[in-house]
Amino acid sequence: MIKNRLVDVLKVQGGDFPHLLVYGPSGAGKKTRIMCLLRELYGPGVEKLRIEHQTIVAPSKKKIEINTIASNYHIEVNPCDAGNQDRVVIQELIKTVAQSQQIQSSTQREFKVVLLTEVDRLTKDAQHALRRTMEKYMATCRLILCSTSTSKVIGPIQSRCLAVRVPLPSKEEVCSVLTSVCKKEGLLLPPELAKQISDKSGRNLRRALLMCEACRVQQYPFSADQDVPEPDWEVYLRETANAIVSQQSPQRLLEVRARLYELLTHCIPPDIIIKGLVEELLNNCDGQLKTEVAHLAAYYEHRLQLGSKAIYHLEAFVAKFMAIYKKFMEDGLDAMMF
Amino acid sequence: MDEYDELFEIEDQFEEQFADELEVLAEMEEETSEPAKRPKLAQGDDVSDIQHLLDDQPITPKAKRQKNDTGVVKRLFNGSQTQERNVPPQRDDITPPSSPEHYEPSKTFRSTPAMLDISGFAEIPETPRRPVTPTPASTHVLKRPPLEGEFISVTDSSGNRVYLRQKEEMDTKTVESRIVPNSDGGLGLLALPIRALREQEAERRHQQVVEESQRLTELLVSSVNDVFAESENPEDQENEDPEDAEGRASRLWVDRFSPRHYTELLSDDFTNRCLLKWLKLWDTVVFGRERKSRPARSDRQAAHQNSFKPNQGGQNQNRFRSKVEMTEEILEAELDQYKRPKYKVALLSGPPGLGKTTLAHVIAKHAGYNVVEINASDDRSTEVFQKRIDTATQMKSVLGSNERPNCLVIDEIDGAPAAAINILLSVLNRKDGHGAEAGTETAKKRKKKESILLRPIICICNDLYVPALRPLRQQAFLLVFPQTQPSRLTQRLAEISSQQGLKADTGALMSLCEKTDNDIRSCINTLQFLHGRGLKQLDSRTIQSVSVGQKDQNKGLFYVWQEIFQLPRTKRKRIGEGFEEAPGSGSGFQRFQHILHLASSSGEYEKVSLGLYDNYLSMRVRDPNLQAVCEALDWLTFSDRLNQVILHGQNFSLMKYLPFLSVAFHFLFAHTHVPRISYPHSHHEASSHLLSSRNALSTMLADIPASIRSRIGQLSLTLDILTLLLDIICPKLRPVNPQLFSSREKDQMRELIATMLAYNLSYRQDRTPEGQYTYVLEPRVEDVARFSGLPPRRQLTYQAKQTISREMEQEKMRRAEQMMLQRNPVAKVEEIKSAGPKLTRNHQQRLENIVKQTTVETRPEVDFFGRAVAPKPQGPQSSSDSGEKCAVLAMGTAVGNSDVWFRFNEGMSNAVRRNVYIRELL
Repeated sequence: MIKNRLVDVLKVQGGDFPHLLVYGPSGAGKKTRIMCLLRELYGPGVEKLRIEHQTIVAPSKKKIEINTIASNYHIEVNPCDAGNQDRVVIQELIKTVAQSQQIQSSTQREFKVVLLTEVDRLTKDAQHALRRTMEKYMATCRLILCSTSTSKVIGPIQSRCLAVRVPLPSKEEVCSVLTSVCKKEGLLLPPELAKQISDKSGRNLRRALLMCEACRVQQYPFSADQDVPEPDWEVYLRETANAIVSQQSPQRLLEVRARLYELLTHCIPPDIIIKGLVEELLNNCDGQLKTEVAHLAAYYEHRLQLGSKAIYHLEAFVAKFMAIYKKFMEDGLDAMMF
Repeated sequence: MDEYDELFEIEDQFEEQFADELEVLAEMEEETSEPAKRPKLAQGDDVSDIQHLLDDQPITPKAKRQKNDTGVVKRLFNGSQTQERNVPPQRDDITPPSSPEHYEPSKTFRSTPAMLDISGFAEIPETPRRPVTPTPASTHVLKRPPLEGEFISVTDSSGNRVYLRQKEEMDTKTVESRIVPNSDGGLGLLALPIRALREQEAERRHQQVVEESQRLTELLVSSVNDVFAESENPEDQENEDPEDAEGRASRLWVDRFSPRHYTELLSDDFTNRCLLKWLKLWDTVVFGRERKSRPARSDRQAAHQNSFKPNQGGQNQNRFRSKVEMTEEILEAELDQYKRPKYKVALLSGPPGLGKTTLAHVIAKHAGYNVVEINASDDRSTEVFQKRIDTATQMKSVLGSNERPNCLVIDEIDGAPAAAINILLSVLNRKDGHGAEAGTETAKKRKKKESILLRPIICICNDLYVPALRPLRQQAFLLVFPQTQPSRLTQRLAEISSQQGLKADTGALMSLCEKTDNDIRSCINTLQFLHGRGLKQLDSRTIQSVSVGQKDQNKGLFYVWQEIFQLPRTKRKRIGEGFEEAPGSGSGFQRFQHILHLASSSGEYEKVSLGLYDNYLSMRVRDPNLQAVCEALDWLTFSDRLNQVILHGQNFSLMKYLPFLSVAFHFLFAHTHVPRISYPHSHHEASSHLLSSRNALSTMLADIPASIRSRIGQLSLTLDILTLLLDIICPKLRPVNPQLFSSREKDQMRELIATMLAYNLSYRQDRTPEGQYTYVLEPRVEDVARFSGLPPRRQLTYQAKQTISREMEQEKMRRAEQMMLQRNPVAKVEEIKSAGPKLTRNHQQRLENIVKQTTVETRPEVDFFGRAVAPKPQGPQSSSDSGEKCAVLAMGTAVGNSDVWFRFNEGMSNAVRRNVYIRELL
């Protein structure tokens, strides 16, 4: 249903392809496309997956344990699991995979595929380590990098890869997917509900499907105006944004801080928090203020990436917003008076 | 005669009454004075006395002569009065026995009783040189000649004649008369010695007062009175000379001016007295002296003891007693069975430079001990420590001049390893146990000496709350040193600086004290340093400008935070503050410097900044536009980035910029109110919480099957999947037995279980603290997905969860079985075949055989050997060969009819064996 242009690429290339950098927002279907591609390459054997626990010894004699998901033809690694030591993972693991030749190359492709996920969270060191590896083992191995954005992938790697952007599906596409899935499950999905779900999911297909299932569990014969469950953290974040807009004072900032801590401890990444906050806050802002707020958010998000204590930066952003917003409101009131 | 008797009685009473004071006075003469006495003297009186005394100049030289005279007399006394000598030593419990000449004065009192005491005590302070008037209270000096007994008439310098009773001490007096000729032209043998003695006594008092006065004048007037210095110093030096030799040799003022006497101690009087009293408690066991020599006192004690007993019993209830009272009580408490004090160890604690070590040394010396010190410079490994303690507490130097008992001073004990402290404790306690066994034989001192701690131990530490000291704290007599009073310290400093020819005014010295936080050592060192630089004039400006003496000490974190958030009060003089005290002018700069110094000396930037972050929003600062808050946060983010750069690039030269955060916060948020500061927990809590959530997620991810695992990462799990998944696994289930579910419900159930298994979730039974059983989701991802402030989501009931968990167990078993079958399909076939019988093979196989047998046998009606057999009723009388079969047959039929059976085995044993299983009975 969703066109897999990757497969087209493959067909054009005649079964071979360069390193790929697949990027796009979460829930757009990057992994799905990649798996389709692999299946196209190697046949159904790709879907026989197993989890392997690998132990890598860093030069500092520190042991790093990492889980990989592998089939006979490819291996999937998330180097970020190793935290700061991801460079070692890249160097050791990928080299060993890349250096070993494929057995029976007559019937198989002559290369293996290494799938690296969450490349945007790789440290710079690890990305630089990747550069040479990519060129050196081109004969035996293809890399598919998977990330949410290219902005954190260094230029040299981007230039070595064929970048493929996977956009979010449109709302109509989401709706059609939902209806087809429901049909397969033997359920009747009213189009209004499908529309509502696709709105609420933010075109994130994974979430849309999950929401649909949650709706099913909640109440089966679907009703058109059914409540669509949302992730808790989003609701919480929205409430936080409302708290910020409704009052601007140090006390309120203290409350907001507690909520931010709460979000952080629930494993919500700080950049997602700041993004969510900005989206909510922008809804409450006047036009003039919007650019300023967006600028602020970008500024503090950058700081956040540079620093280590996310809470300071989040709070700094909130405080700054409060100050601007308050000033704006007071100016507005003054203007109304005169 | 009546009158005479009365008088005599009065005298006795008097002696009893003032025994304490006499003792004290005696002591004051000997060395310095009883601690309590000196400060109690009213300042004004003192001064007037002194003034009065100072008027007659010739006194001082004369005093010296007189002193020599007394020396002679004393010596003579020693020679002649051997039998009297045995009496007095009991009297004095403070003077140590090792210095015999200390006893002499009290002996002289004895030999010329009462009169001397009275006159000396009552009158001398005012008019030491006034001609002696016949004292009314005296029984020995009479205005009229006594009616009976021998007497001597005496005429004093003013011409008054008195009559003295002659007593047994005749021989003494004759001796005296021989040495001290009638220089005054007085009458008889007795008159002169008494007068001489009186004068000596007066002189000595006078000297004392003069000494005191000298000290006081020095304190009051910073400039030295030269005459006095001249007249006094030689004597002072004379006293100190032997001990001072080493101090003089060393060039540090700290050593040179360290106190040699109890009265010179600068530390808090109460503390000093407590330690002295505690040490005195040991006298009974160490010197074999009775603790309460005074009968009156012991009586009182006895009377008190009854009233004390319940008090001590109720000590726990009575917690609200002041600390002072508690300490007093400890000191009043009874000695234990070996006459040791209740607390065997005194533990002095306090910041450096207050004179703890000095106090311990001085007091131990004062009480007649030989000080043995162990400090951090010594090896404190266990064996060495043990050995040293044993040596110090159980041995005594036999050779050499100081045959005093040892007093062990363990300095800097807070740095000692825990093992060493345990050894100390075992010395205290283990020996107690030994002693308890041998408790009955109190007479055998030898034996006890080997086992029990019989010497005082004084421990000294800076930090009382070091973990290693915890056990010791409970067993020790704790004395916490308060700050030295700046006034006393300044006085002493003034003394020193004047002696060294350094001109310093009180204000300068005061500011020096403040700068060093009343650290005596640091003050004196700074003084010497300044003196060494050739400074002759000292004022507060130089003190403040000099950077020496300001200790780079570690203040508590709370202190740092408080300083940052609190504006300095204007009247409070700050050390860092500059050259003019004008509050407005440069205060910003001074505050800046002060806070910067504070923050950089504390060193714990991380903790400090966390504390600032946690507390700054609760400060009472008017900040309507949140400008200050924004700026503060900008500073925080800056320091965070700085930290990151420092840590990642290991660029530690940037560290010096970190303390400026504190300065910024000070200028933004400092307020005159005393801030309420709480310890920053939030960051730590958050990080530990985050860690536990991460762990929950990773355990969940770890066991998810590969096909699903490849589709979800941790991020998508938290952001998208988890909360919705938790909704999905909470379907509406009818609260009925799952067997009664409709097919649709069964499908739903199956789906639910499949989902939960696929995502590695399960329910685990748990018991709440209230004793209720609940099922919790394992791994605990619910905490990760759910937020506290939001409306609660629908939860499954306990029964539903129970059902689900049971079904899941079954499903898991089913899957495991399938997995096994898939893995070895050959075994599968066999197992399927043998699956049925395998379960109940043992008896049922046999049963089947038997049943088969019966069916087979009943059909042809032929027995095992081919003969036809009529079915007989089972009976014991059947023949052996066919009986067997009959039994079998009977069994077969019986078994065919019922589930319960038993078999009787003949021949082998007479045991009855029955194979009955519970599950067959059910």
